[in-house]
Amino acid sequence: MWKYISKSVLLLAVAVAICCVIYPLALLAVGQAVFPFQANGSLLKGPDGAVVGSKLIAQPFTKDEYFQPRPSAASYDASASASSALAASNYALRDRVARTLGPIVNYKNGPKAGKPVAPDVEGWFQKDVYQGNPHIVAQWADQHNSLASAWVTGDPAHGPYVDNWAKAHPAIVAQFKKDNPGTPEPKAPDLAVVFFKDFSAAHPGQFPSAVTKPGADGKPVTTIEPVKDGSDIQSTFFAMWREDHPDVELQDVPGDYATASGSGLDPHITLQNAEFQLDRVASKWAADTKRDPASVRQEIRQILLSNASAPFGGLTGEKMVNVLEVNLKLRTQYGAPPQ
Amino acid sequence: MFMQTWLLPFALLATATIIAFPLSRYLAWVMDGKYRPLPVFGWFEKRLNSGPQNWKQYVYSLLIFNTLLFVFGYLVLALQPWMPLNPDHKTLLAPSTIFNSVVSFMTNTDLQHYSGDQHLSNFSQIFFGIANLFISAAIGLSALVAIIRALRSDSSVGNFFLDMWRVLVYMFVPIAFVFALFFIVQGSPMTLKTSYSVSTLEPAAMGTTDKGEVKQQNIVVGPVAAFEAMKMLGTNGGGFYGMNSAHPFENPTAASNFFNTYAMMMFPFALVLMYGRMLGRMRHSIVIFSVMLIMMAGTIVWSICFDTLKPNPGLTAHPVARTYEVPSATAPGGKRAVILPAVPGLPVDQHLGNLEGKEMRFGTSAGATFAALTTDVTCGAVNAESDSLNPLAALAPMVGMWLNCLFGGKGVGMINMLLYIIIGIFVAGMMVGRTPEYLGKKIGAREVKLAVIALLIHPFMILFPSGLFAATSWGLKAISNPGAHGLSQIVYQFSSASANNGSAFDGLGVTYGFWNNANPAPTAVAWDIAAGLVMMFSRFIPIIAPIAMAAYLGEKKSSPFGLGTLRDDTPTFSILLLGTILIIGALLFLPVAALGPVAEHFGPIPFGG
Repeated sequence: MWKYISKSVLLLAVAVAICCVIYPLALLAVGQAVFPFQANGSLLKGPDGAVVGSKLIAQPFTKDEYFQPRPSAASYDASASASSALAASNYALRDRVARTLGPIVNYKNGPKAGKPVAPDVEGWFQKDVYQGNPHIVAQWADQHNSLASAWVTGDPAHGPYVDNWAKAHPAIVAQFKKDNPGTPEPKAPDLAVVFFKDFSAAHPGQFPSAVTKPGADGKPVTTIEPVKDGSDIQSTFFAMWREDHPDVELQDVPGDYATASGSGLDPHITLQNAEFQLDRVASKWAADTKRDPASVRQEIRQILLSNASAPFGGLTGEKMVNVLEVNLKLRTQYGAPPQ
Repeated sequence: MFMQTWLLPFALLATATIIAFPLSRYLAWVMDGKYRPLPVFGWFEKRLNSGPQNWKQYVYSLLIFNTLLFVFGYLVLALQPWMPLNPDHKTLLAPSTIFNSVVSFMTNTDLQHYSGDQHLSNFSQIFFGIANLFISAAIGLSALVAIIRALRSDSSVGNFFLDMWRVLVYMFVPIAFVFALFFIVQGSPMTLKTSYSVSTLEPAAMGTTDKGEVKQQNIVVGPVAAFEAMKMLGTNGGGFYGMNSAHPFENPTAASNFFNTYAMMMFPFALVLMYGRMLGRMRHSIVIFSVMLIMMAGTIVWSICFDTLKPNPGLTAHPVARTYEVPSATAPGGKRAVILPAVPGLPVDQHLGNLEGKEMRFGTSAGATFAALTTDVTCGAVNAESDSLNPLAALAPMVGMWLNCLFGGKGVGMINMLLYIIIGIFVAGMMVGRTPEYLGKKIGAREVKLAVIALLIHPFMILFPSGLFAATSWGLKAISNPGAHGLSQIVYQFSSASANNGSAFDGLGVTYGFWNNANPAPTAVAWDIAAGLVMMFSRFIPIIAPIAMAAYLGEKKSSPFGLGTLRDDTPTFSILLLGTILIIGALLFLPVAALGPVAEHFGPIPFGG
């Protein structure tokens, strides 16, 4: 017995010495000496010489001048990689994709071919009729309780807005308590559905959204107000608009544009996705630099093609581009986009 | 498109099969002690070798060493705040999470209820993580070798400490070094730094902090390459980062993905042939090998067909409205109708299949291939989110865990297969009315009992806790997806724990995080403890019982080979074996498969919301 314990201690000590000291130190030495770029995280420098990120880690881009990476369930936080973990059958997946699509999808054919559907979504929303019944927002909250409460918790300004509403509508809150004896002290997310039902009746064809206006002291102030158009409506209600217009043909958006990656940090998009974004990017740079759109588009297309590569030269996958590398190239070639 | 889909899995299976032949020869040569050690190595071997052991002594040694390993792992994690290489001042994990993680890494499971990038210092990653990646894999392999020696009636089953040394020094360390070097070249970090904070190219896009300052991107690095190589080679599967081999630093390119995937197949493939070589029954092991290969190919093809070649059904049109009748106390007749309207498709081009949770750089079918392989060989690493696989595709990784012998983990896969062989021969013997024999040894009641115990512990450890958690708030508060998929999440977690796999449906809320976390997953402690216990039982009982079984078999006299002997090296035998595995597996797990992935597939999709 004691013999086995002492041998176990010796084995553990030897194994730890080899596996946790010698093995990693040898790799560290070779890695740092021979492959310092990779061993330190493949960091890329920007035009002013400062590190702007890693070639292998996606970072967010919102300006129209830049290509956008895939959606990230980790908010591009490279210290907390995460996937969406949404099952195909989960409505939340469909909803998230629909929100991505709403503002950018175009008609495929008909008189409006190539034109965005977003204005029509807004027009349909303002008429406030879904599946023949009035009050779109009320129906939305009723059918998708979890989305309604997610709206309340999704922004720090939304909760207080609902709290203020609850204070102003004690009768509705009292009725809620009566209907839901399990929730004697309802908080803002619990009240989401009744809040939206009341909101929808009071503001038909409108949705609460952030509005930024100059305040009394000249600084911009953001408040939540009922609005009848804008990106919130284009994205949130695209799925319902689509249900009311199932036969309208729309242009397909590349799959990787709408789906979140496994790590939340996927540095690539498919070349197809990049070309899908090319018109937006090129026309914006052309406007910024006051140059001929066609030639700018041609230049940027060249950048994409020279960056594109495929897994095993295309044997096992399709061509893709590295978003940060391409955007860095755009930044050095055309300068900083205007604020 | 056809080639882009099928070349990768084919190349992987072919590479692993071809290399298994020479590698198995080397493994047998090392484990039979035919090499002549360098003087310095020989000195250590002499110190470690406690002399020839019988099976009980071998098992004692194994258990004592594992106890010590548990204490060591627990100490490393429990002392994390006071250890070096921790500039970010990562604090203590919750005690239940430490218990779970230590058991998990010690048993080669590597189910992670924490995220390496968020919760561990580099010291813990090296002295807890890397240490266990090597050692736990070596334990399984040593157990297999002991069983082989028992089966061939050696005077001793070997010496546990010497076997461990051989596996670590002559196999794992040198091979891991080569793989790690390759991963560095491809882009895996290898540094003792912990992270960089950078201002991104469009700084405002990162958002602002509570103080109104523009956020920086915090890029976590570390000794990733060293970790990664052994994580895959040892079929451990516990990631340096939360998202494992999907993370660009763990798996930077298509080439690194190929070798990531191959690395986990390398030893399981070779060990089956090593079994044949050491027993002198090469043809028998080739029969076993082909049965495993057929089943493995089946799971890969299944996974690709339903994930890579099919769109994500959550985004496509479901043009037929459906009506369900559900029981209702208030409605007339006791039933009310629930109408699910037709669903229009969203305009998404899905010619590359289901891309939710996939990375672009690995190739078209890489995610589906990896998902199936990782459970077949009990690795548990993932390069795509398993939770977001198409419903039927998710059956492939589940079947891999349920059968647990499609090559299986380091050593234990072959051990599980041995149990199926014994049961299969026993059943065949019953059918023809002849005393069943394996390797010329008569299989008696005691051997069959031990085999059945070792086999049945696995479904029991999956189905019983799954049922318990599905029926209580422990499970219901943890699931993140509604309906049938929620059940799949629970079943997957316990399948993964019991198969010592380690992959997971990541949406399940099992993370407590640091001990002072104000907002942990509500039932994380229950999950930590339950999964920890499952891993422990499902690791040690299926190792100890087969060693005993093999020892009892080996003690028996060999009966001469005769006309009536059931031949174990023919295609007929492979059909017998395949049938045994599929029938036992189906009997045990078809009901839960029907309630989980199959029910999800038939819809309605989308569900709830």
